[in-house]
Amino acid sequence: MTEPAFFILTALLDAPRHGYGIVAEVAELSRGRVQLKIGSLYGTLDRLVGEGLVELDREEAWQGRLRRYYRLTEHGREALDAEAQRLAANARLASTRLRDRRNPITGATPS
Amino acid sequence: MSRLEERYRFILRLLPADYRQEWEDDMVAAFLESMDTGDPETTAYAADYGWPSMSEVASIVSLAVRLRLGGADAPPRSYAWGQAVRLATLMAMLTHAVMVTASIAVTLWLSGKFAWLPTPASEWAITPPSSIWHTAWHLAGYAWLPAYIALVLGHRRVAQAVALLAIVPTTITTVVAQATSDGPLTVSPWAALFIDVALLLAMTAFHHEAPPVPRRPWLLALPIGILLVPVPLFTIQATTPALRLLDWPGLSCAAVTAAMVIHLAVRASRRPSRTLPWSLALTLLAVTTLAQRTATLPDYRHQVQHATLTTIASVQAIAVLAVGVPLAVLAIRALRQLPPIPAAAPRPVTSTE
Repeated sequence: MTEPAFFILTALLDAPRHGYGIVAEVAELSRGRVQLKIGSLYGTLDRLVGEGLVELDREEAWQGRLRRYYRLTEHGREALDAEAQRLAANARLASTRLRDRRNPITGATPS
Repeated sequence: MSRLEERYRFILRLLPADYRQEWEDDMVAAFLESMDTGDPETTAYAADYGWPSMSEVASIVSLAVRLRLGGADAPPRSYAWGQAVRLATLMAMLTHAVMVTASIAVTLWLSGKFAWLPTPASEWAITPPSSIWHTAWHLAGYAWLPAYIALVLGHRRVAQAVALLAIVPTTITTVVAQATSDGPLTVSPWAALFIDVALLLAMTAFHHEAPPVPRRPWLLALPIGILLVPVPLFTIQATTPALRLLDWPGLSCAAVTAAMVIHLAVRASRRPSRTLPWSLALTLLAVTTLAQRTATLPDYRHQVQHATLTTIASVQAIAVLAVGVPLAVLAIRALRQLPPIPAAAPRPVTSTE
């Protein structure tokens, strides 16, 4: 799962969101590190819809335009959960080794 | 509709029509919202005079390339075009790599570095470069070889960066040479540069969804290509002065025509799904070489053997057309039998007006 896909699914966990709502939520979740461009957002979103991880929730009129709200499917929630567990396991592995091993550069042993 | 929206919709036309039908309005709404600064005056000014940022345009171009030149999981038509562009790019890059490798060998021979080979004739003697900068400038052209290897090994961005090293000095040299030369302006160097830039852009077809390049055949093609094309060509041209009339566009026409003839002979016994990308790739190369041949014809006006050169060039162009047109017709027919590029269409669960 790519990083934009991971953040988009995470952004849709709590509530359905429209296109720009996803961009803003992803920026906030990643503390500004992931700034999705519209082309990148829809490039990922159309794939997630195609794979059945995201679906259209509703359409709402807003300032004369139709806004589409997207929501996470059950399949999407499971995929995100699996990815989060995989990333957490990787992070735990690195953290454990970092704690146990002596730094080869400074020679210091973590306390 | 604001001017900003018009400009954004214009850029979205890069995307396939089916895809736009499903996603365009939503993309426009999201984009315009992203341009809303919260200050009505600034937002109104941006609506009239603003342009989508370069990064925004780049994201649309990248999406268009992924959709139109698809990878293995893409719809058949998108995949066929994707493979065609990737094959055409590889073949053109291979040609560059083969020719520069051969030219390194020839330069070393002419410099007397291969004592075991016959001494070159005095008319072939090369003038040593006047400074280290000239040498470095000259060597930049050899960057096509590492660029090709990087592309085959799956390092697309490295390949593009290295290819840029080959293109930029050539561009500067061409501009300076044409600006300071007393002679007439020539089309040939510009046509070659245009093709090189197109090649650089075509490398974007090797995106992360594209299947990896089969390494073994494409790497083996390098030594085989050197033995099959430049070595015999140089030997023949060295011994038969009449063949020196075959210039680079002419050589390209001959190579592409030969490749198309071989492909037409082979494709009859293969599955259409396997041969279609090759048919399209060779058609793309035929169009490019034909355009180069036609565009460089005016350069012959100032040559002593003007009439002979023009006749030879016309024969080359006719040969490309004679084989290229039937191949293009067959390729287009096979392409039309494939389903078009669909878009994953989100359907609303509930609708609120």
